Amino acid sequence: MSYRTFSEAKQSYTFILPLIIFILAFILLPVVGTFINSFFRDISFLQRKFIMFGNYKQLFNDPGFYGAIRFTILFIVVSVTIEIILGLIFALILNETIPFRGFLRACVLLPWAIPSAISARLWELIYNYNYGLANFICIKSGISTGPINWLGSSVGAFFGLVIADVWKTTPFVTIILLAGLSAIPTELYLQAKVDGTNSLQRFYKITMPLLKPVLVVALLFRTIDALRIFDLIYVLTHGGPGGATTSLSLYAYKYYLAGDFGYGSAVSVILFVISFTLSIIYIKLARFGESGI
Amino acid sequence: MIEERFKSVLIWIGCVFIAVFCLTPFLYMIVISLSSSPDFLTKLGEIEFSFKNYYSVLTSKSLHFVDYLRNSIIISGVSAFFCIIIAGLAAYSITRLDLPGKMLILFFVLAVSMFPQISLVGYLFKFMSSLGWINTYFALIFPYIAWILPLSLWILVSYFAQIPKDLDKAALIDGCTRWQILLKVIFPVAAPGIFSVSLLSFIFAFNEFMFALMLTIDYRSRTIPVGIALFQGLHGEIPWGNIMAGSTIVVIPVVLLTIIFQRYIIQGLTRGSIKG
Repeated sequence: MSYRTFSEAKQSYTFILPLIIFILAFILLPVVGTFINSFFRDISFLQRKFIMFGNYKQLFNDPGFYGAIRFTILFIVVSVTIEIILGLIFALILNETIPFRGFLRACVLLPWAIPSAISARLWELIYNYNYGLANFICIKSGISTGPINWLGSSVGAFFGLVIADVWKTTPFVTIILLAGLSAIPTELYLQAKVDGTNSLQRFYKITMPLLKPVLVVALLFRTIDALRIFDLIYVLTHGGPGGATTSLSLYAYKYYLAGDFGYGSAVSVILFVISFTLSIIYIKLARFGESGI
Repeated sequence: MIEERFKSVLIWIGCVFIAVFCLTPFLYMIVISLSSSPDFLTKLGEIEFSFKNYYSVLTSKSLHFVDYLRNSIIISGVSAFFCIIIAGLAAYSITRLDLPGKMLILFFVLAVSMFPQISLVGYLFKFMSSLGWINTYFALIFPYIAWILPLSLWILVSYFAQIPKDLDKAALIDGCTRWQILLKVIFPVAAPGIFSVSLLSFIFAFNEFMFALMLTIDYRSRTIPVGIALFQGLHGEIPWGNIMAGSTIVVIPVVLLTIIFQRYIIQGLTRGSIKG
């Protein structure tokens, strides 16, 4: 801009200042505080004491921590894979000229829009052993001969969480991929059709290569989001049975709840570092810089 | 064309599947909320419909459903309002005022939005305790504004960037201050963007769970998601009918908003997460 003056620059700072203050005070400061806290023995009613890497040493010998890591990774791999595949199928369908397109798009948004605590409660009822919808469907359709113990067994609880998460977040993937699909010029498909290709060839030769960047973005975004999963597990299984579905966030939360802020902070710091690394990769891959603001 | 016919059948099946997949849990919720007992599937044919659950959720003082709802609406509304103002100012500064290091700020804010909440909440709890704010609206409103700002900023920046800069110049020549330009020129022109950001901010604050769980104690500031998650009957049993009635009351406005304004929500979401 050519008419930049001193007062202009000053004004640009004043305008951005509230944002910076809010993010520094309520996000960055807490993160730094958590980092510092993780080097302390900080348990309610006990004297706060600097112990260097004490919490981290304890962490690396803690089977509960490894259990939480194992569960979190397994959960991410299974649920994000299903979400991406299902989201792609949904997006491909919604991108076609179909009747009730607006209605279906709204349908897809609904599971995403409601609070996950409410959807978790809803799924808790669906998984009810005696009269839930899940067992009703499984028995009537012959998938299972007797009722499945969804939330009381570790395998049932795992897949129960995966299904509920897929229901809740596939919409988000669908919307992102739909935006990617609608950016592909239709002339490409028309030309390919003239050249005598079939639908499957067009999908592999045009759709997939052009959609790949968006697909990677959706994949990373969902991974970062699934990494910090908390609400759904807190309500649906509370990390049980026997700690089998405790995610890293929930594991840290349980220490906070017990008043052990030092150890809870150490767990949070590990989660933070993993998620921050992925975010940097995401920002690089998504190539936000090219948008030219 | 066998291939075309095959494809259209597949698409048709897909459409039905999408509708069933997305809507079945909602229908189940509504049916349970309207039936006198949650086990109607085991005794089909003798379903008894009643509004008893709705009545008790809305009138029972001990359930505090109405308190939770009021808290949620006030907290999310105030958060979304301030978020728009703060993000609007910042987006204006980034897109028009030639702010030094603006890309750095945008990336920084984007990285911040991906922080896991658990890495803030322990410290926030201590911070809010020291201020004496635990179990007040302030304990949630301030972190919520900060938490929703990144998304709002990204969406607004993408809207503001499309508005021609000549508009500002014309207004400057007419003697407007930057404040007046933002309020009287940019906000009205970017109205769809402002609207979709307001809607998304409200939904995000309304749905937030972990901060609300950690920083509130009882009905005086507890929000709907935490309230419904911790709903318990007087005798320890799970009052499914009441929970589903409460959920339905909360979900219906969200569903209506989503259906009516789906275009704005989709626009906002796609602009906030992928660019161009």
